[in-house]
Amino acid sequence: MSETVWREWARRVAMAPGAVYALILLSLVFALFTAQFLTLQNLTNVGMQGSVLVIVSLGMTLIILSEGIDLSIGPVLGLAGVVLALAVKQQVGLPLAILAAIVTGGLFGGLNGFLIARLGLPPFVVTLGTFGMAQGLALVLTEGSSVPGLGPAVQYFNDGRIAGLPVPIVLTAIAFLVVYTILYHTKFGTYVFALGGNQEALTLAGVRTRLYKTVVYVLAGALAGVGALVMTARMNAAHPTVGVGLEFDAIASVILGGTSFERGKGWLVGTIIGALAVSVLRNGLNLIGLSTSWQVSMVGTVIILAIVVDSLRGI
Amino acid sequence: MAEGLVLQLEGISKQFPGVKALEDANFDLRRGEVHMLVGENGAGKSTLIKILAGAYRHDTGRIVINGRPADIQNPAQSLALGVSVIYQEFNLVPFLSVAQNIFLGREPRHPKIPGLIDHARMKAESQALLESLGVDIDPQTTVHYLGVAQQQMVEVAKALSVNAQIVVMDEPTSALTTREIEQLFAAIRRLTAGGVGVIYISHRLEEVFQIGDRVTVLRDGKWITTLNVRDATMDVIIQAMVGRAINRLFPRDFTAEKGEEALAVRNVHRHGVLQDISMTVRCGEIVGLAGLVGAGRTELARVIFGADSYDAGEVTIFGRTARGSPAACVAIGVGFLPEDRKREGLALILPLRENVVVASLRRLFPSGIIKRAKEYTVVTDFVKSLDIATPSINRMTKFLSGGTQQKVVLAKWLCTQSRFLIFDEPTRGIDVGAKAEIHQLMNELVKQGAAILMISSELPEVLNMSDRIYVMHKGRITKELSREEASQEAILRHAMGVTK
Repeated sequence: MSETVWREWARRVAMAPGAVYALILLSLVFALFTAQFLTLQNLTNVGMQGSVLVIVSLGMTLIILSEGIDLSIGPVLGLAGVVLALAVKQQVGLPLAILAAIVTGGLFGGLNGFLIARLGLPPFVVTLGTFGMAQGLALVLTEGSSVPGLGPAVQYFNDGRIAGLPVPIVLTAIAFLVVYTILYHTKFGTYVFALGGNQEALTLAGVRTRLYKTVVYVLAGALAGVGALVMTARMNAAHPTVGVGLEFDAIASVILGGTSFERGKGWLVGTIIGALAVSVLRNGLNLIGLSTSWQVSMVGTVIILAIVVDSLRGI
Repeated sequence: MAEGLVLQLEGISKQFPGVKALEDANFDLRRGEVHMLVGENGAGKSTLIKILAGAYRHDTGRIVINGRPADIQNPAQSLALGVSVIYQEFNLVPFLSVAQNIFLGREPRHPKIPGLIDHARMKAESQALLESLGVDIDPQTTVHYLGVAQQQMVEVAKALSVNAQIVVMDEPTSALTTREIEQLFAAIRRLTAGGVGVIYISHRLEEVFQIGDRVTVLRDGKWITTLNVRDATMDVIIQAMVGRAINRLFPRDFTAEKGEEALAVRNVHRHGVLQDISMTVRCGEIVGLAGLVGAGRTELARVIFGADSYDAGEVTIFGRTARGSPAACVAIGVGFLPEDRKREGLALILPLRENVVVASLRRLFPSGIIKRAKEYTVVTDFVKSLDIATPSINRMTKFLSGGTQQKVVLAKWLCTQSRFLIFDEPTRGIDVGAKAEIHQLMNELVKQGAAILMISSELPEVLNMSDRIYVMHKGRITKELSREEASQEAILRHAMGVTK
């Protein structure tokens, strides 16, 4: 690596987003106050539980980098899980069922992308609308109840191990490597930064900006489909409302990770750290015995604190 | 085809709703020359360039590149024909590297892995390009962390990387220091030596003589003249631009009667910014505040206007101690016309009408309900008295020219019945004709008894407009000069902190 690349990394560490400190601090606190936190089993748990969040946050990072937002990602994940479960029940075969889940996510992403990039509608409003659509569709398909008992083939994606590692963690690692390569080593990735940083420059460079912007949403939707697989496997059931609130954690992870809503500023590794911080927080609060409602409130507080600290540091 | 012509634009017309932006305009460019394109705001320079760049389509006329008629429908086609435009607002992506910016949209493919970018080649070629321009920038640096001048050089490198035969630069020096301008000019000379034709748009007429080979003047969308720079003089160019002879750029032929003290600043400190500042401004006079960039002039203006606090000393406005907020200052009758009027002086997406009354709503409509009829009367009066060029008071402010926008900001403060006005760079970015109008208005205001504090970096403006001049250097007032004492040399000497 050249000197500049080192300097770039040094700068990133010096300017490390709030997530880094949040993660370290939260881990310390929970390690001190609970006996279970610092056990291998619990840490594996954090990784397993955090895997869905990481996968979804990867897509969210691309969207936010391109100066967009996707509120629908949670319900879309819920819907993709329902599609997966129903397809398994129809005995279409697991590969096809997984494909159906990913395609469902991709289609919703495509709808978002079309409305945002083609018609120029604001991402917030569009994805608020598709939030409702996906949520409603999931409820209609399941008549409001869960689809349980999907069998060991599906559960493999939670319980199974590849080279000694739990499958969700392997899947997450693969998703990260793929998105990392796309973001930093392909034209598409370059254009993601440019969409947020200076869309005009991209247009004047003769790039088809609307196409690439649409692809960002499709990719994020497809990743939600992958997340749905892990989520459904963990519960051995599809719950139509399981994804609601996940968009909150995903956006929180991206912000904590230092990706900005403006100018295409961001760092994919930061998102991983952010998602881990959120996962550690939720896990630790669970161990302490705080209810889910409190957890949401705490995640919100941590985001605000991280942003306040960042702004005081002048980042 | 005439020998050596790389570009001919013939009889280009372009109509926008309500405006004829270009009418039968002609322009040509030779290989290896710098062709200056000048004209007032709204003369059609930008439109002409955008047509060449493929951002707009022309209605009539034709474009000939290298003797072949070119049909340019979008930016990609323009690039493919060897046209590269460096816009005034940089077209760089802040959080990509220099190399990624240079190759944006034309990333080389990885030799082995399909779908990936060849970062190594991008880096090497960027390095070579930057070296050929004589600049020392690491291609892997993130653009956001570069200075303005370096970003400008990246733009030039980007323009070159497409093997451009025609490079268009839109006011490339507006944000550069003298030394950086030298560096840019050196780069331009390297370009032309290699046979590239450069179209150079500028508001700074002296640049025509520094770098230009030929100069074309546009006015109101029409071609006026094309001259060899060797045969041209500043006066001839200005005359062609404004369509009338301007005898003096800065009319000032009277001294108004001095009235009450509008502003008194006594021993004001602001930590790290201002030290021991004392000054006065009386009604009926224009007081100039001169100094180099960073001397603390804008900071002082902000303190006076209550936008920033101060640590010690006293500021009184019309005999009252004003401390705290701009709102309190406005209430006593202070108006502030900021340098960056687009951002700080106006709400660009609101109509002219609302921008004029926005600071006076309580005075005009004490009941809290805005009465359209009264608003109409008030705003129309200002449009007339300030001669604001607008098709309607409902015109969105961002569509007005720079000079007209400045008049709208002025109208806003006159509407609040301000009697003490602070102008920060009153005519920056405003074209020659409108400049004279703004100066005329300032003169009218002091004649009617207003007080004006004027910050300006243009020495001719300071010298010709001011009754008195304070010169600042490093947060201190180093000298007060009367109109008679003032000269370019005197101001510069004190602005640079030279005491003897």
